[in-house]
Amino acid sequence: MKDMKKLLYSLILALLPILVQAQFDGEFVKPRTGKFLLQNATVVTVTKGNIENGSVLIENGKILAVGKNIQANDAEVIDCSGQFIYPGMMDAGSRLGLVEVNSLPETQDYAEIGQVTPNMQALVAVNPNSVAIPVTRVSGVTTTLAVPSGGLFPGTAALINLNGYTPDQMYAGFKGVVLNFPSSARRSTWDRRSDEDIKKEAEAAQKTLNEIWGRAETYHQLQKAKAELQYYPEMEQLSKVVAGELPLLVEVNAATDILSAIEWIQSKNAKAILMGVAEGWRVADKIAAAGLPVIVGPMLSIPTRQSDRYDAAYTNPGKMAKAGVKVVIRSNDAENTRNLPFNAGFAAAYGMGKEEALKAITINAAEVFGVADKMGSIEVGKDATLFVSTGDPFETKSQILHVFIDGYRVPMSSRHIKLYQEFLERSPGLEKN
Amino acid sequence: MNIRFKPKVFSSLFYLVFCITSISFGQSDPTGERRVTGTFAITNATVTIAPGKTQQGATIIIKNGLIEAIGSNLRIPIDAQTIKGDSLFVYPGFIDGATSIGVLRPNDPERPANFDPSNPPDEFAGITPWRSVLDHYDIKNSQINDWRKVGFTVAQIVPEGGMLPGKSAIVTYGGKESNNILAKNTALAARFRSTGGGRGMYPGTQLGIMAKFRDLYKNAELSSQHMRLFASNSGLSRPEINKTLEAFFPVLDKSIPVLYEVSNDLELRRAVMLQKENGFRLVVAGITDMDFALDAIKSSNAQVLVSFRLPNDKTANSNTEGLSDEMKARTQKVKDAYIQILGEAGKLEAAGIPFGFTSLGGRSNEMYKNIRLMIANGLSENAALAALTINNANILGIQKFAGTLEKGKLANMVISTAPLFAEEAQIKYVVADGYVFEYEVNNKKSNNNGNGKAVDLSGIWDYTSDTPAGSSGGTMEIKRDGTSYKGTISYDNPSGSGKASSPMNNIILSGNNLSFTFNVSAGGMSLEVSVSGEITDGDFSGSMSLSEFGSFPFNAVKKPNHLNQ
Amino acid sequence: MKMIKYILSAFLILGCFVTIAQTQKGSVLIKNATVLTVTNGTLENTDVLVENGIIKRIGKNLNASNIQCIDGTGKYLMPGIIDAHSHVALDAVNEATAPITSEVKMGDVVNPYDIGIYRALAGGVTISHAMHGSANAIGGQNITLKHRYGTSNPEDLHMKDAPRTIKFALGENPTRVHGRGNGIQPRTRMGVDAVIRNGFNEAIQYKKAWADYENAQKQKGAKPVPPKYDSRLATLADVLDGKIIIHCHSYRADEIYALINTCREFGIKNIVFSHVNEGFKVAPELAEYTMGASVFADWWAYKFEVYYSTAYNAAILMENGVITSINSDSGELIRHLYHEAGKAQRYGQLDDDQTLALITINPAKQLGIADKVGSIEEGKQADLVLFDGHPLSVYAIPQMTFVDGVKYFDINEDPDDMRLKVSASEALEPIFLREHEHRCMHGVDFFFTNFGRNLFNHTH
Repeated sequence: MKDMKKLLYSLILALLPILVQAQFDGEFVKPRTGKFLLQNATVVTVTKGNIENGSVLIENGKILAVGKNIQANDAEVIDCSGQFIYPGMMDAGSRLGLVEVNSLPETQDYAEIGQVTPNMQALVAVNPNSVAIPVTRVSGVTTTLAVPSGGLFPGTAALINLNGYTPDQMYAGFKGVVLNFPSSARRSTWDRRSDEDIKKEAEAAQKTLNEIWGRAETYHQLQKAKAELQYYPEMEQLSKVVAGELPLLVEVNAATDILSAIEWIQSKNAKAILMGVAEGWRVADKIAAAGLPVIVGPMLSIPTRQSDRYDAAYTNPGKMAKAGVKVVIRSNDAENTRNLPFNAGFAAAYGMGKEEALKAITINAAEVFGVADKMGSIEVGKDATLFVSTGDPFETKSQILHVFIDGYRVPMSSRHIKLYQEFLERSPGLEKN
Repeated sequence: MNIRFKPKVFSSLFYLVFCITSISFGQSDPTGERRVTGTFAITNATVTIAPGKTQQGATIIIKNGLIEAIGSNLRIPIDAQTIKGDSLFVYPGFIDGATSIGVLRPNDPERPANFDPSNPPDEFAGITPWRSVLDHYDIKNSQINDWRKVGFTVAQIVPEGGMLPGKSAIVTYGGKESNNILAKNTALAARFRSTGGGRGMYPGTQLGIMAKFRDLYKNAELSSQHMRLFASNSGLSRPEINKTLEAFFPVLDKSIPVLYEVSNDLELRRAVMLQKENGFRLVVAGITDMDFALDAIKSSNAQVLVSFRLPNDKTANSNTEGLSDEMKARTQKVKDAYIQILGEAGKLEAAGIPFGFTSLGGRSNEMYKNIRLMIANGLSENAALAALTINNANILGIQKFAGTLEKGKLANMVISTAPLFAEEAQIKYVVADGYVFEYEVNNKKSNNNGNGKAVDLSGIWDYTSDTPAGSSGGTMEIKRDGTSYKGTISYDNPSGSGKASSPMNNIILSGNNLSFTFNVSAGGMSLEVSVSGEITDGDFSGSMSLSEFGSFPFNAVKKPNHLNQ
Repeated sequence: MKMIKYILSAFLILGCFVTIAQTQKGSVLIKNATVLTVTNGTLENTDVLVENGIIKRIGKNLNASNIQCIDGTGKYLMPGIIDAHSHVALDAVNEATAPITSEVKMGDVVNPYDIGIYRALAGGVTISHAMHGSANAIGGQNITLKHRYGTSNPEDLHMKDAPRTIKFALGENPTRVHGRGNGIQPRTRMGVDAVIRNGFNEAIQYKKAWADYENAQKQKGAKPVPPKYDSRLATLADVLDGKIIIHCHSYRADEIYALINTCREFGIKNIVFSHVNEGFKVAPELAEYTMGASVFADWWAYKFEVYYSTAYNAAILMENGVITSINSDSGELIRHLYHEAGKAQRYGQLDDDQTLALITINPAKQLGIADKVGSIEEGKQADLVLFDGHPLSVYAIPQMTFVDGVKYFDINEDPDDMRLKVSASEALEPIFLREHEHRCMHGVDFFFTNFGRNLFNHTH
């Protein structure tokens, strides 16, 4: 063994001069931190209105100042005349980082085997070097909730910022346990079960859920009583939900299921956020009355029923917001998480309005995840996670010019952009010389 | 344990059936099962010779499996066994336009090692048009008894298998001494389903099935052309004998039709598309939603075998109270779709298309219930009977010896205790191929309205009806006319103000059930309105069906009789 | 009597149905709109007069008597959107059982009841190219559909004056289905190329056999024996004769380049590449030798062969002179192709006319119907969409959609439930959740999961 190491070592030494001599074109641009002054922009703070000809001063990862006439001699100045500064957009449900190429099982790290696996930690499987992360963040989407999927309790989701080389550098301070609430709906036309079977299966699933929850409560009580318990990581994790330390992220979509879920959540006195909520518009007043926030999306999806109005998915968030529900929007995508602003744009166009839709991907998300002290708006003292654009980021025409995450200025490059740079004018073209 | 008939075993069983008849010659019958005589006389019955043609107090003589005579004052042959037909109703025996009852699915052959699923031999691909269904038929299948019990005496049996499973045949549901075959190779069976022999075998979908059908048809034509050339010329390459293509020859010369099993209007249209391209005779079978494709049926002259399968009324027990308007509307759509399906057969009749019924997809114990529903929703009783008898005889080409009750036709008949489609009607006898099958009859209440009193229609009734255009009403004046009723109905004048009236036709009262029709004319058009429903204590509650346009509530109350007098 | 009035109105309705059955043509005058002609720039405050399904006049202060007049003030009128790659309104998508199935016809399995047609209309799409799936190296013959929703006769949807087209497919799908799935060629991209060449060469032989037969028939006294009929080869012979346009599912630059070469060798010019995620890498070749590329706006990474793609694809192709369109391949995306096209402005900053061409005149060119539709020009068929804002804005909402001058969608008049045929046997209406839809959108496996509604007709 030792000899082997020696051999390798001497080989590397022998090669070193060649490596040093090697020529590299261009320079790799890395994310960098520092003191930045973004000047003369329209600052869309989200929480405190718009500031015309405003500036934002960034240092040590935080927003140091926001307003007009901010001076900082030692800061790197970025002129943003005619441009807009927005807080980083937050996608409240995505697989970004948990999957690289969706058809290759080797790269799918979002669904574990088993029905009750709340102990599966999405944060562990987030790949900080996923090609899709730079592709996403240059669009101004800076933060995503990495959500595992699969069985009844597929795992624990984690909020991440899209910059960093380890999951811990990316972690943005929120975790929640996912529950796929049992459904009593017929799933698509290929679902050939009889109406009765569907009902029976839903009841059985509901019963299973209650049994598991009962076990988690027992575990929690015995744990509180300082009983010596056998290793049981599933219940260990669920007991944190029972204790209210972690919220439940309840994925539920059909109207009747939403009502059952609300009833169930109330009966268990659980801290919960509804996710999916595709038919939320049908029972919006009930969700509002229950005081539960929702993570809805994508808007760019077909109506849940063939009989529904064609725009049912577009209008869903607006209808819920009008009924008084706190609405957060997600893409539920992976590599195309960059479409989050367009989902918000459709929600805005179809009844939600621009202002509410912007909140739904910034401050509302931050509040629902309990991180509003750090994120979700442009305010002094918050993390410097923001972007500069030529216009409304919901409009496809707008260009995103600069992105800052936790005070790091991230390079405006991605594989998509590099391929554009290489192939716009290919050389050689059709003929070689 | 999964028992499957192997074709070989079966054909030897079949052989045995032949043997029984021949070896029984010269033998007594120690089982005591053999009938004493084949001559029967059904006396003094109400006989419906053909739809719409009824004779009271008639006698029917059956001999040698044939109807020897029908009429009154007939001399009863000395060897005849007499069946007292008083209070019985006799109809022509039913013909099932297409059925798979008793038909076995041949086993899939085993795949060879070098099997190429993209180009499988015909037999693997469900292309076996050379097969005769008779080689895969179990005459002893117990379900045949169930179907005979509801009135079927003749059936076209359709082979099981893939896209071209084989040729159909016509059998009777007669006695077990006979092999009961009336005709073989009566139609080339086809369907839009693949073999199910495993995914990935060509043709796997309707896309491939349609393309394959076209290629086979075209090549059958070419092959037939080649054979004709070869037969009359020398020096030509020898034609390759191909049993698949040969099986098409009787279709090419139109001596038999293609019997396409279809499950919805779109499949029906696809069959018509193939028919128009190739010009064969087409029978479509098994449809329930044909009025979505009436134009295709009319333009192709396809003959239609309608399944009497009906969906259950999913909304019957649903409580719409407390539902949102949106959910109520949704429930109503399902209800409307259900009502529409009930009216399909009636619409086909209204369009002047003489269709037959097929048991494909249906269940014997639901047949009468379903046909009564169709009748309540616009189908006339005559058309319903025709669809079970003469129309199918015509479609199957056996009208010379089946389909009506006439001298010289096969002795096939259905004998019931009340008019055939009346709620309380029960089948007492079925005569098939001259064999008489007797069934137990329960004593049900008849002709009373729940309190033991017979319903008397005569009098003046006030009715109301509800259509999407609003609620309206008028009167019905009904009088007794011998054993039946006559009446007139008044309604708002469609081409002016005030009331207009029409005679009520086909007034049928059976038990508590009343049905009738009347015609409304306006603007040079005439429309038949049919009403049916139930009478309880002088209240009539039912529905009014306007052939194409759906069915609507119709309620009437009879004025107390002393006021009428 | 109200009942009778109802009966009479029912007669009238029946009469209407009869006329709808003969593909209706409408007349309408749209006044004072911002007209995005696509081929002739933007015309402010302009009227468009449609008579009997055809755009009669474009100009100011137009008048017409007895024609419905629609006020377009403040609104934007653009040509009906054309989707060059769709599977909407099909009862079956893949005859995935053989590597070449050029004999099958999508026109055989059109389902006029598909609610997807109406949803597409509500997104301004008037024409879709209903394609065979991508399981086979050479798939079936596609059908170009006009979205005349409301009929039960599938043929009413056929765009009868559109040329024939056929589906080809390269790469992972045919090699998985046949090579890895069934153990027959092709298992590799070499095999796909070989299978296509086999097809072409057999078609040449087939054509010759029939030509020989027909020539022999002309000889006096000759009694030639007819060859076997084979619609598979007959169709490929038509492809070789340029009578059928190839639309080829493809992703990687190498496979695209290989088929360009094969087609050049066989003298085939009528070929469009579809999806073509790596088309940008061979943009000069696509521009020179093909009828262009029909791409996704931004789909990538759902399978390995699209891992090295870029959302700038459409822009690179356009700038290199390739006829480029944006397609949906999905019952979801087809509802907002105007938005998908808009992404080419985010990724590559195409101007408005270039961007609108991606979903109008360019797909029309690729389907061989650019002389009839795809722009607002006098004499063209009146397929039109009226938006309340500029269609490339995310906030724009389609208001009305016309096919042949007949209005098939009106945001203010249509009821919510637009199904044509309701199942009487299911009280519990199925619910379509994003999860399933997502999986099929990213239809890794066309064979097992077809796009859109068709996914749900096939069990796994």
